[in-house]
Amino acid sequence: MKKRILIVDDSFYMRTMLKNMLTDAGYEVVGEAPNGQTALQLAKETNPDLVTLDVILPDNTGLDVLKGIKQDNPDMKVIIVSAVGQEVIVNEAIEHGALAYIVKPFSEEKVLETVGNALK
Amino acid sequence: MKSREQEYREIFVAEALEYYDALSRHISELEKSPKDEKLLAEIFRLLHNLKANAKAIGFINISDLSHKLETAFGLIRNKELNFSDEVVTVLFDGVDMLGEMITNLDNPNYKEADNQVLLRNLDLIVEAPDSTALEVDKVQRDYTAKNLSLSDLIYIQIKKLDHMMNLVGELIIDRDRILSLSKEIENPDLAVVSSHLYRITEELQFSVMDARLVNVGTLFNKFPRIVRDIAVAEKKQIHLEITGQDIQIDRNILQIITDSLLHLVRNAITHGIEPAEERVKIGKEAEGNVWLSAQNDRDMVNIKLRDDGKGIDLNDMKKAIVQRGFLTSDVVNDLRESEILSYIFEPGFSLAKEITEFSGRGVGLDVVKNAIDSIGGRLRVESEIGVGTTFTLHLPTSIAVKGALLFEVAGGFFAIPLMHTDSVVALQNHQLHEVGDMLVAEIMNETISVIYLDELLNAPEGQMRLGDKRVLKGTEQNIIIVTYNNRKLGLIVDKLLRQQDIVIKPLNKPVDNIDIYGGVTLLGTGKVCLVLDVPAITRYFISKR
Repeated sequence: MKKRILIVDDSFYMRTMLKNMLTDAGYEVVGEAPNGQTALQLAKETNPDLVTLDVILPDNTGLDVLKGIKQDNPDMKVIIVSAVGQEVIVNEAIEHGALAYIVKPFSEEKVLETVGNALK
Repeated sequence: MKSREQEYREIFVAEALEYYDALSRHISELEKSPKDEKLLAEIFRLLHNLKANAKAIGFINISDLSHKLETAFGLIRNKELNFSDEVVTVLFDGVDMLGEMITNLDNPNYKEADNQVLLRNLDLIVEAPDSTALEVDKVQRDYTAKNLSLSDLIYIQIKKLDHMMNLVGELIIDRDRILSLSKEIENPDLAVVSSHLYRITEELQFSVMDARLVNVGTLFNKFPRIVRDIAVAEKKQIHLEITGQDIQIDRNILQIITDSLLHLVRNAITHGIEPAEERVKIGKEAEGNVWLSAQNDRDMVNIKLRDDGKGIDLNDMKKAIVQRGFLTSDVVNDLRESEILSYIFEPGFSLAKEITEFSGRGVGLDVVKNAIDSIGGRLRVESEIGVGTTFTLHLPTSIAVKGALLFEVAGGFFAIPLMHTDSVVALQNHQLHEVGDMLVAEIMNETISVIYLDELLNAPEGQMRLGDKRVLKGTEQNIIIVTYNNRKLGLIVDKLLRQQDIVIKPLNKPVDNIDIYGGVTLLGTGKVCLVLDVPAITRYFISKR
């Protein structure tokens, strides 16, 4: 079975890069959410194995999405994808159950390694 | 060829322009309500994304400037920096500069202005948050008037293009109706208008079809990685060569063949290419070769997948055909090579002896065949033992409009997509032979089963006499030879009409499960014309043989 991944990022460019990297590596990208509301809805509907979550989103903060996901399904794996300068939020996210984080700009190796470890 | 890098670049530019527009808008709003936290958060987010994206793609100047602006807005947001006049000026200059860089990304003649002063000012306001004492230098601008420009690129959901294509289809049907009305009425004005309408709709149809085209490279470029992974899992050495990435095809067609192509590539590596030591032993190079190519062929696109592996053993094929109960052994021995090979597309047929991680898990080539059939394409296989196997996918470039051969049976109108027609012949009744409950004829040195369509379509239940020449009308029969999966079948029709481009509409419930019809179209005369499903009819009669 292919592992199923939901991508949450407000930038189409970032989503496209992530999606290509993940599908090339044999993962199934089950959804792409550009904002918090869609993210929570898709997480519920698609029940992915893993969510990649950007912490700066237009409507909600990424943290609220993380809390929402964990509330609905404490076992859903979440990794944070964030640009430098957001260390405070990233730390808070780890405290709230995010497994790991990737710093933008990311390399393909780093993404696949982090995702692979999280899904082990 | 549109590589992935180019695709990323286009997306980056389009998105950066969008961000810049939003930034300009929000900053003007912010000037009016400097305390609006939502606005600040939004500006911060846009700069943040711009920074990360620019850094990822390698536009370091844009990334650096965004970063500095982001920091400044971050301070304002945390109330560590006042939104004073000097600060506003510097920030505005910064955003303008950002805009200039972004809008000129695709301009080869653009020389980035010296923005040292600006960057120093930004550093100043970030490092000396006590902005009252700030002495910023005036930024010299090389440009006086601001250029307003929008991106040349838009993103559109494929759903919207599908809808447009459907509307064009409807329009074409009505156009043909008007055209034939104008011929009936013989009004010269109407004739002029309708011929103009014809040209316009034709152009419209091609523009919409054109808007849906993508490079096959968008799919092909995924394969180096996939091939590497399968090769590693199979412990084989594979060299993949890709050509024709810039050939264009309808996006939905590419989508539909994606899984099929993946399946064929997996098969080629797991079953086609021999292990390295075996290859060396028979004098081949250790590394196996797989070629993936695309070519234009008139209105079609041919995608070929070739390997230099062991090829398909016809004797194995014959054995499997008999073992799996498709045909008896004496019938199999009479088959032509291409006919034998075509059985690998039969449901339930498999030559796989062992199941590996990547192949042989019960999904057969019939699934591939069905996918190609569903878009009106053709799948062919050629193989030479010891030399390799080639799969060719003949694909239409567009789904909506198909060339078709129109004919009449018992006063009703019917069509067969040209894709499936091989030839048209006229035979005397004595050239048709009754064999069992079928008619057969010798056509161009081949024995071909011939079906009398009037009898097939109109005979009362249980009284069909397809093997009886007495039901034929007249002494000479028009026969359309159709071909599907390397097999030919003759269809006797009452009257051949013409070739025409038609828009095939799927049948609606409750008639959508009638196997022999693939769809329906309306002719210019307003008459309904049923489209025969050649794969279904051929499958039915071949299984009877």
